[in-house]
Amino acid sequence: MAAADVPAERTLFVRKATGLVKGWSVLDAFIYAAFAINLMALGFGYAFTTIAFIPDGSLVWAVILSALFIIFETLVYASLIAVMPRAGGDYVWQSRVLHGGIGFVFAATGWWFILWHWVPIYANILVVEVIQPFMVIIGNTGNGVFESDWWVYTPTHGAGIFTASLITAGIATVVVALGMRTYARFQKWCFYGGMIGLGIILVIFLIHSKADFIAAYNRSAQNMWGTGPHAYEGLIAASDKAGTSSYVGAGSFPVKETFLLIPFIVFYNLWPNWGATLYGEVKGASDYRKNVYAMAGALVFTTIVVLITFAAMYHVMGSDTYGIMSSAYWGYFTAPLAIFPYPGTIAAMFYTNEAVQLIIILLLSLWFFGWAGSVFLSSTRMIFATAFDRVLPEWAAKVSPRGVPYAALALMLIPAIPISYFYAYNTTFYKATLDATLVIAATFLLTTLSAMLLPWRKPEIYNASPIAKYRPLGIPLITLSGVIFAAFLLFCLYKWFADDIYGVNNSTSLRYMAVLYIAAIVIYVASRVIRSREGIDLDKINAEIPVE
Amino acid sequence: MKVFFATDIHGSETCWRKFLNSGPHYDADVVILGGDMTGKALVPIVDDGGGKWHGTLQEQRRDLNGEDEVVAFEQDVMRRGYYPFRTTPDELSELEHDEQRLDDLFHQHMLGTVERWMQMADERLSPKGIKAFVCPGNDDQFEVDEILANARGVTLAEGRVVDVEGYQMASTGWSNPTPWHTYREETEDVLYERISSAAAGLTNPPERTILNLHCPPYGSGLDEAPGVNEDLSPKHGGHAPEPVGSKAVRRAIEEFRPVLSLHGHIHEARGHTRIGNTLVINPGSSYEQGQLLGALIELDGKKVKNFVLTSG
Repeated sequence: MAAADVPAERTLFVRKATGLVKGWSVLDAFIYAAFAINLMALGFGYAFTTIAFIPDGSLVWAVILSALFIIFETLVYASLIAVMPRAGGDYVWQSRVLHGGIGFVFAATGWWFILWHWVPIYANILVVEVIQPFMVIIGNTGNGVFESDWWVYTPTHGAGIFTASLITAGIATVVVALGMRTYARFQKWCFYGGMIGLGIILVIFLIHSKADFIAAYNRSAQNMWGTGPHAYEGLIAASDKAGTSSYVGAGSFPVKETFLLIPFIVFYNLWPNWGATLYGEVKGASDYRKNVYAMAGALVFTTIVVLITFAAMYHVMGSDTYGIMSSAYWGYFTAPLAIFPYPGTIAAMFYTNEAVQLIIILLLSLWFFGWAGSVFLSSTRMIFATAFDRVLPEWAAKVSPRGVPYAALALMLIPAIPISYFYAYNTTFYKATLDATLVIAATFLLTTLSAMLLPWRKPEIYNASPIAKYRPLGIPLITLSGVIFAAFLLFCLYKWFADDIYGVNNSTSLRYMAVLYIAAIVIYVASRVIRSREGIDLDKINAEIPVE
Repeated sequence: MKVFFATDIHGSETCWRKFLNSGPHYDADVVILGGDMTGKALVPIVDDGGGKWHGTLQEQRRDLNGEDEVVAFEQDVMRRGYYPFRTTPDELSELEHDEQRLDDLFHQHMLGTVERWMQMADERLSPKGIKAFVCPGNDDQFEVDEILANARGVTLAEGRVVDVEGYQMASTGWSNPTPWHTYREETEDVLYERISSAAAGLTNPPERTILNLHCPPYGSGLDEAPGVNEDLSPKHGGHAPEPVGSKAVRRAIEEFRPVLSLHGHIHEARGHTRIGNTLVINPGSSYEQGQLLGALIELDGKKVKNFVLTSG
C-alpha cells in the first residue's frame, strides 16, 4: 500500500454537541482584511501620492518593505485571537494582560474617539475617488454648489467636505444598522466588483502607450476641466521650474529615503488586523493558521496587486509623471491641471464616452463603499466590551429588537458630526486632527506589548493555547513577532513625532490628542469611583480565580 | 444576596475548579452553573510501546516519553474540556468502526468525570457553606441528571423551582432546535410548555424570582451566533452572526417578568440586556482557554442592585 493510502489515525472523537462547526472560510476573512488595507481607498486614495513629499524614495520598495514588517503584525494579532478569541480585541487583550485602565484608555482613544475624526478623512477619499470624478464626467465642473470643486476642502471652504462627511457617516450608520450578515454579503460583492474595475483599468493602462496617455491627458484636461490645449506640457514645465520632476522608478532602491517613505505608506497597510475585534472562537492550530492566512494573505495579495498596478501605471505614464501629478495636487507648484492622480480618473481619460468613464469610476467606487462601514463597525465591538466590563454604563451595550447596537452606534455617529463640522470650518481644529493615524498606532503598540508579555503574564491561558508550541530560537513566536512589530511601530512613531515632513508633529494636534487621552483617563477614573460606590471592584472582574 | 453565575464549561477541569472557588473569590453567597457541563470530545493517547506514547491536541501531535509526560498531557486535555483515554493502535482502529463501544467509552469518561466533580464540590463547597446550583444543558446526556441529583455539594435545579436564599429560581437546560440535533432540544411550543411547567411552582413576586434557562431569548443580542451553512461551516468567515435564541424563552421572560434571567448556550454572545424590567445575562464561555467567564449579580430584594460580567 502506498504511503498516501494509509488512513490517517483518528486523533479526536467528537460527539454531537452545539457549536462544533467545520472550519470557516479563509476567503471571507481575507476579504474583510483586504478591504481594511484598501489599496484603492487608502493606497491610491492618499498614501502613494505622498511620493510628492519624499521624491527620492522608492514607492515600490516602500510598499514591499512595509508589508514585510506588517506580516509580524498579523502574527501578533492572529496569536492573540488564538489565545483570547473574544470580541473587543485590543481592549480585551490590553485589559487582561496589562491593566483594565490601560486597556480602556488606549482602546477608547484608538478605537472610539479617534474614529470620529476619521469620518472627514474617509470623506476626503469619497470626494477625490468618487464624487469629483463623477461630477467631472457628467460635466458638472466648477465651484458652484455641488459642482466638482465645491466638494474639495480648502481653509476657506468647508461645505463640501462637511457634506461628504455626513454622507460617509450616513453610509457607515446604515451598514452597521443592517447588521454584519448583510454587510459581509455587501462587502463580498463590492470586492468582486472592485476587482473587476481594477482589472479593467490595468488592461487600459497596459494596452496604451505614454504617447496615448499624453494625448488623453491633454484632451481630457481641455474637454472635461476646461484648460488650454497643452495641459500635460504645462504640467511638466511647471514641475521642471519648481525642480520637482524626478522620481525614483521601480529599478532603484535608495534605502534611507525609502525607509523615510514608510511612515507615509503605513497609512494604507497598517490595518490587516482591523477585523480582529470581530473574530470568533478559535478551535485549534489550523484556525490560528487560518487567521494568519486571512490577514497576512490579504496583505501579500494587496501588496502584489499594488505592485502590478504600479507597473501598469509606470508603463503608461512613467513613475515621474505619477510623482509630478502628486506634487501638483499637493501644491508644490501651480499647474494648468492639478487633479488627484487617482487611477480611475486617469483610466477614464482614455475614453470620451461618458458611459464608459462612469462604469470605470463606479466599479472602482466599490472599493470605497465596501469599506466605508469600517469607520464605525469595529468600534461598536470595543464599546460593547467596555460596557460588559461596566467601565461604560449598561446602556452603551443596548441593542434594538433587530439586533442593532444603537447606543454604541450613537456614541460613534453623534460626536462624529460636530467633529466633521469643526474639521470643515475651523482651520485650527483641522490641524488638530493630523495625528489620527498616530493614535491608532499607539493603541496597536500597547496591544503588541500585551502580546510580547502574554506568555509570562497569563501563562495558564497561553500554555493551553494552540500557539504555545511555536518557539523559534526558544522564544515564543508571539513575543518574537511582537518585538519586531513593536520596533517597526516605534520607528514610525518616532518619525511622525520628530520629522516635520509627515505633517503630524503639529503642536496643536499633539495637545488635542493629549486631551483625548485625558478624557479617556477621566472616564475610567470616574467609572472606578462610581462602580466602587456601587460595590463593584473593577480590578476584580479580570482577576484570575485560583484553580486549586 | 450576591450570586455568581457561570455556564457552558463543557468538561473543562480548569473552569470547574475555578467555579468551585468562585464563591470566596467574588464574595458570593450563591453560585450557579448553567448548562453544558460535559465535554465534547475524547482524545486518544496511543501506546507506542517501550514507555512511549503519542497524542494530538489542537491538531498538534505530541510524542510522550514516560508516565510523567503522559499525565501532563492528560491534564492538558482535561483543562481544555476533552476526555483523555489511553489506548493501543489496535483498539483505536476498532473504535473507529464500533459506534457502540465508542458511546460506552464516552459515557464512562463523561459520567466518571461528573461523579468526580461532584465529589470535589462536596469537599470544597459544603465546609464553606456556599450554596451551589447546577442545571444540565442541551449538550448534556440524561444520565448526568441522576449524578447531580445524588450530589451533596450541589443542588440539581432542572425542571423545577428551587429556593435560592429567599428567591425562587425556575430552571431548564432544554433549548430550541439546533443544527447539531443535541440531547435536549425541542420545538418552541414544547419548550414553552416545559418552561411553564418548571415555573409552575413560582409563588414569589417577580422581584424575588429568577429564571435560569440555558437558551437565551430570541433577538436579545445574547443569542447571536455565526450563521452556518448546510455543511455546518460558518457563513462569511464567521463574521456574520444571526439570532438563534428561543422565542419560547423570550415569551417566558415577558410573562413571568423575573428580576433576573440567566442564560448561556451561545458562547460568543457574552453580554446583558433588559427585557422589560428583567436583567437578562449571558456571560458567554471561554472554556477552551481555561477562562471562567461569569456574572456577579447583587440583588437587594427589590431589584438588581448591581452586576458585572467577570473573566476569571
